[in-house]
Amino acid sequence: MEENFKWLWYAFSAAWVLVVAYLFSLGRRESKLRDELESLKSMIEERQRK
Amino acid sequence: MKNRSSAILAAVSGVMLVITLYLTFLWVPMERTMGVVQRIFYFHVPPFFVASLAILAGLVASIRFLITRDYRFDDLAVSAIEVGWVFDSINLVMGPFWARPVWGIWWTWDARLTSAFVLWLMFAGYLILRRAVADPSARAVMCSVVVIFQAVGGVIVYMANRWWRTQHPQPVMAGGQGSGLDPRMWYVFLFSLATMLVLFGALLQIRRRLERLRREIDGLRRTVHSEA
Repeated sequence: MEENFKWLWYAFSAAWVLVVAYLFSLGRRESKLRDELESLKSMIEERQRK
Repeated sequence: MKNRSSAILAAVSGVMLVITLYLTFLWVPMERTMGVVQRIFYFHVPPFFVASLAILAGLVASIRFLITRDYRFDDLAVSAIEVGWVFDSINLVMGPFWARPVWGIWWTWDARLTSAFVLWLMFAGYLILRRAVADPSARAVMCSVVVIFQAVGGVIVYMANRWWRTQHPQPVMAGGQGSGLDPRMWYVFLFSLATMLVLFGALLQIRRRLERLRREIDGLRRTVHSEA
């Protein structure tokens, strides 16, 4: 029985790792895109001012 | 508004996930032959159904893109396929941890497992193709065609253990005479499926937000280049 708990624990840990890694990747990509968007917007504003 | 709805969906899926874990570990009866390891079922099978739904959503969006050339459908397709790939990965990763104690092996190349692995590769191939093709129009058309083949792959995975003899068990749900689940197992399975669907909805909205941001950036880049 305890042996089976080990497999259950491994399976659920693997699933959680996948979900957390994906959430982390989404967050990282969003902050990178927002930074890029802000820099492009400020570049355009600067050009328009000139 | 859209940020708020994805936050609400994420919160609801979080609460539902806690309830699913409670039902899976404390409420549902123990399966007689496999024991506690059978509880993997409640987190192994629903992700496959969610991945199948993702392929269906990707297929409908891709066909609509091919007809209308509206890039919002392409955004929906890539978002559904990427999130579906995560759910398909959960299904594939959990399976061997169930197989090892029950079958004595981690993996076997039977029709069900092989087709499931090929489908996972097709998901990955779609995402690699999106990065490989620079032209947005060609990229969207090529990827839309790939999703059509992927949908055929999804049907083969679902039917594999009905069409061929496999190491993977024959269908437990809707598998005909002799198949079936204890009613309490059904409730937990359906609740887990509902949880995964809500989680899929939340992740899909977040992923679509990224795609909208990317399109906005592409538009601004074009403006910068045309002014230069």
